[in-house]
Amino acid sequence: METIAVYWESRIKTYGFQRIPDLALIEFSCPLSEIKPLGEIFSQDYLEILRPKFIISQVSNHEISFVFCLPNKEGKDFHTTLKKTSRSTPERYIHPVSIIFFHGPHFGDRYGIADATFSTLSKAGIKIIASGCSSASVFLVLAQHDIDKAEEILSETFEVAR
Amino acid sequence: MEKLKIGGLKQSLELCQFDLRGLDSSEEIASKVSKLLLAQKINMEFLTFYSQRNNYHQLTFCISQDKFSATSEILKKEGLLPDWEINSREQVGIITIFPHQSAIMILGLIMSSWAAHSIPIYGIATSLSAISFVTDYQLADKATKVIQDLFQMPEDHAPIKPEIRYHQSDIVKED
Repeated sequence: METIAVYWESRIKTYGFQRIPDLALIEFSCPLSEIKPLGEIFSQDYLEILRPKFIISQVSNHEISFVFCLPNKEGKDFHTTLKKTSRSTPERYIHPVSIIFFHGPHFGDRYGIADATFSTLSKAGIKIIASGCSSASVFLVLAQHDIDKAEEILSETFEVAR
Repeated sequence: MEKLKIGGLKQSLELCQFDLRGLDSSEEIASKVSKLLLAQKINMEFLTFYSQRNNYHQLTFCISQDKFSATSEILKKEGLLPDWEINSREQVGIITIFPHQSAIMILGLIMSSWAAHSIPIYGIATSLSAISFVTDYQLADKATKVIQDLFQMPEDHAPIKPEIRYHQSDIVKED
Protein backbone atom coordinates (compact mmCIF):
# COMPACT_ATOMS: atom_id res chain seq x y z
CA MET A 1 0.00 0.00 0.00
CA GLU A 2 1.33 3.44 -0.82
CA THR A 3 -0.10 6.66 0.54
CA ILE A 4 0.96 10.05 -0.70
CA ALA A 5 0.79 12.65 2.00
CA VAL A 6 0.12 16.14 0.76
CA TYR A 7 1.05 18.95 3.06
CA TRP A 8 3.20 21.99 3.16
CA GLU A 9 3.81 24.61 5.78
CA SER A 10 5.27 28.02 5.15
CA ARG A 11 6.85 27.63 8.60
CA ILE A 12 7.41 24.11 9.90
CA LYS A 13 5.17 23.46 12.87
CA THR A 14 6.37 22.01 16.15
CA TYR A 15 4.55 21.18 19.37
CA GLY A 16 7.04 23.35 21.28
CA PHE A 17 10.55 23.21 22.68
CA GLN A 18 11.52 21.44 25.85
CA ARG A 19 14.77 21.70 27.73
CA ILE A 20 16.71 19.50 30.10
CA PRO A 21 19.48 21.55 31.77
CA ASP A 22 22.51 20.70 33.89
CA LEU A 23 23.40 17.33 32.43
CA ALA A 24 26.69 15.48 32.14
CA LEU A 25 27.77 14.10 28.78
CA ILE A 26 29.75 10.88 28.87
CA GLU A 27 31.38 9.52 25.73
CA PHE A 28 33.03 6.13 25.54
CA SER A 29 33.81 3.51 22.95
CA CYS A 30 34.71 -0.14 22.60
CA PRO A 31 35.70 -2.50 19.78
CA LEU A 32 32.69 -3.93 17.94
CA SER A 33 33.85 -7.36 19.09
CA GLU A 34 33.17 -6.28 22.70
CA ILE A 35 29.56 -5.25 22.20
CA LYS A 36 28.14 -8.37 23.84
CA PRO A 37 30.01 -8.00 27.15
CA LEU A 38 29.28 -4.25 27.15
CA GLY A 39 25.58 -5.05 26.73
CA GLU A 40 25.82 -7.43 29.67
CA ILE A 41 27.26 -4.62 31.79
CA PHE A 42 24.41 -2.27 30.78
CA SER A 43 21.83 -4.87 31.73
CA GLN A 44 23.06 -5.19 35.33
CA ASP A 45 20.45 -4.38 37.98
CA TYR A 46 22.56 -1.66 39.64
CA LEU A 47 22.39 0.51 36.50
CA GLU A 48 18.60 0.34 36.40
CA ILE A 49 18.33 3.50 38.51
CA LEU A 50 20.00 5.55 35.77
CA ARG A 51 17.65 7.67 33.69
CA PRO A 52 19.54 8.72 30.57
CA LYS A 53 17.99 11.70 28.80
CA PHE A 54 19.86 11.10 25.56
CA ILE A 55 21.78 8.22 24.01
CA ILE A 56 23.37 7.95 20.60
CA SER A 57 25.75 5.37 19.25
CA GLN A 58 27.89 5.55 16.12
CA VAL A 59 30.13 3.01 14.42
CA SER A 60 33.45 3.72 12.72
CA ASN A 61 36.74 1.89 12.20
CA HIS A 62 35.52 -1.31 13.88
CA GLU A 63 34.60 0.60 17.02
CA ILE A 64 31.25 1.53 18.46
CA SER A 65 31.04 4.78 20.40
CA PHE A 66 28.31 5.91 22.76
CA VAL A 67 27.25 9.33 24.00
CA PHE A 68 25.06 9.39 27.08
CA CYS A 69 23.57 12.46 28.77
CA LEU A 70 22.56 11.98 32.39
CA PRO A 71 21.83 14.15 35.42
CA ASN A 72 25.23 15.13 36.81
CA LYS A 73 25.30 12.85 39.89
CA GLU A 74 24.20 9.84 37.81
CA GLY A 75 26.69 10.81 35.13
CA LYS A 76 29.60 10.77 37.60
CA ASP A 77 28.58 7.34 38.92
CA PHE A 78 28.16 5.97 35.41
CA HIS A 79 31.54 7.37 34.35
CA THR A 80 33.17 5.72 37.37
CA THR A 81 31.49 2.39 36.51
CA LEU A 82 32.78 2.58 32.95
CA LYS A 83 36.32 3.32 34.14
CA LYS A 84 36.25 0.14 36.19
CA THR A 85 35.34 -2.06 33.25
CA SER A 86 37.92 -3.25 30.79
CA ARG A 87 35.31 -3.40 28.03
CA SER A 88 35.05 0.29 27.26
CA THR A 89 37.29 3.32 27.08
CA PRO A 90 35.76 6.46 28.61
CA GLU A 91 36.90 9.29 26.37
CA ARG A 92 35.09 12.36 27.56
CA TYR A 93 33.09 13.79 30.41
CA ILE A 94 31.53 17.20 29.83
CA HIS A 95 29.49 19.13 32.39
CA PRO A 96 27.31 21.12 32.19
CA VAL A 97 25.46 20.54 28.94
CA SER A 98 21.78 21.05 28.14
CA ILE A 99 19.34 19.35 25.84
CA ILE A 100 16.71 21.08 23.80
CA PHE A 101 14.28 18.79 22.04
CA PHE A 102 11.14 19.10 19.96
CA HIS A 103 8.86 17.19 17.68
CA GLY A 104 6.04 18.11 15.39
CA PRO A 105 3.42 16.99 12.92
CA HIS A 106 5.00 15.14 9.97
CA PHE A 107 8.46 15.02 11.58
CA GLY A 108 10.02 11.81 10.34
CA ASP A 109 7.97 11.77 7.14
CA ARG A 110 9.06 15.01 5.50
CA TYR A 111 12.30 16.54 4.32
CA GLY A 112 13.63 19.89 5.51
CA ILE A 113 13.46 19.49 9.30
CA ALA A 114 17.19 18.82 9.69
CA ASP A 115 18.12 21.72 7.45
CA ALA A 116 15.80 24.10 9.30
CA THR A 117 17.45 23.03 12.55
CA PHE A 118 21.14 22.75 11.73
CA SER A 119 21.45 25.59 9.22
CA THR A 120 19.66 28.02 11.51
CA LEU A 121 21.85 27.20 14.49
CA SER A 122 25.00 27.18 12.39
CA LYS A 123 24.22 30.65 11.01
CA ALA A 124 23.73 31.90 14.56
CA GLY A 125 27.13 30.52 15.55
CA ILE A 126 25.74 27.93 17.93
CA LYS A 127 27.84 24.78 18.09
CA ILE A 128 25.99 21.52 18.41
CA ILE A 129 27.83 19.04 20.60
CA ALA A 130 25.61 16.09 19.72
CA SER A 131 22.30 15.35 18.11
CA GLY A 132 19.96 12.43 17.69
CA CYS A 133 16.91 12.50 15.43
CA SER A 134 14.64 9.47 15.40
CA SER A 135 10.98 8.63 15.94
CA ALA A 136 9.91 12.09 14.75
CA SER A 137 11.96 13.89 17.42
CA VAL A 138 14.94 16.22 17.24
CA PHE A 139 17.32 16.20 20.22
CA LEU A 140 20.19 18.68 20.42
CA VAL A 141 22.93 18.68 23.05
CA LEU A 142 24.43 22.12 23.50
CA ALA A 143 26.74 23.95 25.86
CA GLN A 144 24.62 25.13 28.76
CA HIS A 145 25.26 28.80 27.97
CA ASP A 146 23.90 28.39 24.42
CA ILE A 147 20.49 27.07 25.34
CA ASP A 148 18.59 30.38 25.64
CA LYS A 149 19.89 31.65 22.32
CA ALA A 150 19.19 28.31 20.63
CA GLU A 151 15.56 28.30 21.75
CA GLU A 152 15.15 31.89 20.62
CA ILE A 153 16.58 31.11 17.17
CA LEU A 154 14.60 27.89 16.74
CA SER A 155 11.40 29.65 17.82
CA GLU A 156 11.87 32.11 14.99
CA THR A 157 12.38 29.28 12.49
CA PHE A 158 9.64 26.89 13.58
CA GLU A 159 6.04 27.72 14.36
CA VAL A 160 4.85 26.48 17.71
CA ALA A 161 1.43 24.88 17.15
CA ARG A 162 -1.30 26.18 19.45
CA MET B 1 12.08 -14.98 35.46
CA GLU B 2 9.40 -12.48 34.51
CA LYS B 3 10.07 -10.67 31.26
CA LEU B 4 10.44 -6.89 31.25
CA LYS B 5 7.41 -5.20 29.77
CA ILE B 6 7.78 -2.92 26.78
CA GLY B 7 5.23 -0.63 25.20
CA GLY B 8 5.80 -1.75 21.63
CA LEU B 9 8.03 -2.30 18.69
CA LYS B 10 8.14 -1.22 15.06
CA GLN B 11 10.23 -1.79 11.95
CA SER B 12 11.08 0.72 9.27
CA LEU B 13 10.99 0.27 5.54
CA GLU B 14 14.23 -0.47 3.67
CA LEU B 15 16.80 2.30 4.16
CA CYS B 16 20.44 3.01 3.46
CA GLN B 17 23.01 4.61 5.73
CA PHE B 18 25.80 7.12 5.27
CA ASP B 19 28.60 7.80 7.76
CA LEU B 20 30.61 10.98 7.28
CA ARG B 21 33.68 11.58 9.38
CA GLY B 22 36.05 14.51 9.29
CA LEU B 23 38.00 17.11 11.17
CA ASP B 24 36.33 20.13 12.66
CA SER B 25 35.63 22.77 10.07
CA SER B 26 34.20 26.23 10.00
CA GLU B 27 31.23 24.99 8.03
CA GLU B 28 29.13 22.63 10.07
CA ILE B 29 28.82 19.29 8.32
CA ALA B 30 25.28 18.65 9.60
CA SER B 31 24.14 21.96 8.16
CA LYS B 32 25.89 21.44 4.83
CA VAL B 33 24.63 17.89 4.28
CA SER B 34 21.07 18.63 5.37
CA LYS B 35 21.01 21.51 2.88
CA LEU B 36 22.26 19.22 0.07
CA LEU B 37 19.54 16.67 0.85
CA LEU B 38 16.86 19.33 1.15
CA ALA B 39 17.71 20.47 -2.38
CA GLN B 40 16.96 16.92 -3.56
CA LYS B 41 13.84 16.66 -1.34
CA ILE B 42 15.33 13.72 0.53
CA ASN B 43 14.06 12.96 4.02
CA MET B 44 16.50 11.83 6.73
CA GLU B 45 14.65 9.24 8.79
CA PHE B 46 17.43 8.81 11.33
CA LEU B 47 20.38 11.02 12.22
CA THR B 48 23.13 11.11 14.80
CA PHE B 49 25.84 13.71 15.09
CA TYR B 50 28.73 14.03 17.49
CA SER B 51 31.34 16.74 17.28
CA GLN B 52 34.00 15.92 19.81
CA ARG B 53 35.27 12.43 19.20
CA ASN B 54 39.05 12.88 19.19
CA ASN B 55 38.44 16.19 17.38
CA TYR B 56 36.53 14.38 14.65
CA HIS B 57 32.95 15.11 13.75
CA GLN B 58 30.76 12.19 12.75
CA LEU B 59 27.42 12.49 11.04
CA THR B 60 25.42 9.32 10.44
CA PHE B 61 22.07 9.34 8.71
CA CYS B 62 19.58 6.96 7.11
CA ILE B 63 17.39 7.67 4.12
CA SER B 64 15.14 5.61 1.89
CA GLN B 65 17.04 2.90 -0.01
CA ASP B 66 15.71 4.20 -3.33
CA LYS B 67 17.66 7.45 -2.77
CA PHE B 68 20.99 5.66 -2.33
CA SER B 69 22.50 6.32 -5.77
CA ALA B 70 21.38 9.94 -5.94
CA THR B 71 22.73 10.68 -2.47
CA SER B 72 26.04 8.88 -3.11
CA GLU B 73 26.54 11.00 -6.19
CA ILE B 74 25.80 14.22 -4.35
CA LEU B 75 28.07 13.50 -1.39
CA LYS B 76 30.96 12.19 -3.46
CA LYS B 77 30.90 15.00 -5.97
CA GLU B 78 34.45 16.22 -6.25
CA GLY B 79 35.33 19.06 -3.96
CA LEU B 80 31.99 19.22 -2.21
CA LEU B 81 33.10 17.63 1.05
CA PRO B 82 36.90 17.72 0.85
CA ASP B 83 38.77 15.75 3.52
CA TRP B 84 35.63 13.97 4.69
CA GLU B 85 35.65 10.19 4.88
CA ILE B 86 32.35 8.93 3.49
CA ASN B 87 31.17 5.37 4.07
CA SER B 88 27.83 3.99 3.06
CA ARG B 89 25.78 0.90 3.70
CA GLU B 90 22.81 -0.28 1.66
CA GLN B 91 19.76 -2.19 2.87
CA VAL B 92 19.55 -1.25 6.52
CA GLY B 93 16.45 -0.99 8.63
CA ILE B 94 15.51 0.68 11.90
CA ILE B 95 13.92 -1.22 14.73
CA THR B 96 12.33 1.04 17.30
CA ILE B 97 11.41 -0.19 20.75
CA PHE B 98 9.23 1.70 23.22
CA PRO B 99 10.41 0.87 26.74
CA HIS B 100 8.23 1.82 29.71
CA GLN B 101 11.33 2.19 31.88
CA SER B 102 14.79 0.67 32.46
CA ALA B 103 16.12 2.08 29.19
CA ILE B 104 19.77 1.18 29.88
CA MET B 105 18.86 -2.36 30.89
CA ILE B 106 16.74 -2.82 27.75
CA LEU B 107 19.53 -1.35 25.62
CA GLY B 108 22.03 -3.74 27.21
CA LEU B 109 19.79 -6.79 26.79
CA ILE B 110 19.27 -6.03 23.11
CA MET B 111 22.98 -5.36 22.51
CA SER B 112 24.07 -8.63 24.08
CA SER B 113 21.25 -10.73 22.61
CA TRP B 114 21.69 -9.39 19.09
CA ALA B 115 25.46 -9.94 19.34
CA ALA B 116 24.79 -13.56 20.39
CA HIS B 117 22.67 -13.98 17.24
CA SER B 118 25.21 -12.17 14.99
CA ILE B 119 22.84 -9.25 14.42
CA PRO B 120 24.89 -6.07 13.95
CA ILE B 121 24.15 -2.60 15.29
CA TYR B 122 25.10 0.30 13.00
CA GLY B 123 23.62 3.11 15.07
CA ILE B 124 21.41 3.95 18.03
CA ALA B 125 19.39 7.04 18.94
CA THR B 126 16.86 7.67 21.66
CA SER B 127 13.90 9.98 21.94
CA LEU B 128 11.69 10.66 24.93
CA SER B 129 9.92 7.31 24.68
CA ALA B 130 11.84 5.20 22.20
CA ILE B 131 15.17 3.58 21.39
CA SER B 132 15.94 3.14 17.68
CA PHE B 133 18.53 0.64 16.40
CA VAL B 134 19.92 0.52 12.88
CA THR B 135 20.68 -2.99 11.65
CA ASP B 136 20.69 -5.05 8.45
CA TYR B 137 17.32 -4.91 6.72
CA GLN B 138 17.52 -8.61 5.84
CA LEU B 139 17.96 -9.42 9.53
CA ALA B 140 15.11 -7.21 10.74
CA ASP B 141 12.65 -10.08 11.20
CA LYS B 142 15.22 -12.13 13.10
CA ALA B 143 16.13 -9.08 15.23
CA THR B 144 12.44 -8.48 15.96
CA LYS B 145 11.95 -12.10 16.98
CA VAL B 146 14.87 -11.84 19.44
CA ILE B 147 13.24 -8.78 21.01
CA GLN B 148 9.83 -10.47 21.18
CA ASP B 149 11.43 -13.41 22.98
CA LEU B 150 13.20 -11.09 25.44
CA PHE B 151 10.36 -8.79 26.45
CA GLN B 152 6.65 -8.90 27.17
CA MET B 153 4.72 -7.06 24.49
CA PRO B 154 1.23 -5.59 24.84
CA GLU B 155 -1.47 -8.05 23.76
CA ASP B 156 -3.15 -5.58 21.43
CA HIS B 157 0.07 -4.57 19.71
CA ALA B 158 -0.21 -2.64 16.44
CA PRO B 159 1.42 -4.17 13.34
CA ILE B 160 5.20 -4.14 13.64
CA LYS B 161 5.84 -3.64 9.94
CA PRO B 162 4.83 -0.37 8.29
CA GLU B 163 1.57 -0.56 6.36
CA ILE B 164 1.68 2.91 4.85
CA ARG B 165 4.49 4.59 3.01
CA TYR B 166 4.45 8.37 3.04
CA HIS B 167 5.82 10.55 0.29
CA GLN B 168 5.84 14.26 0.75
CA SER B 169 4.14 15.86 -2.20
CA ASP B 170 5.94 18.35 -4.41
CA ILE B 171 2.78 20.43 -4.50
CA VAL B 172 3.32 23.57 -2.51
CA LYS B 173 0.22 24.95 -0.92
CA GLU B 174 0.63 28.08 1.14
CA ASP B 175 -1.09 28.19 4.54
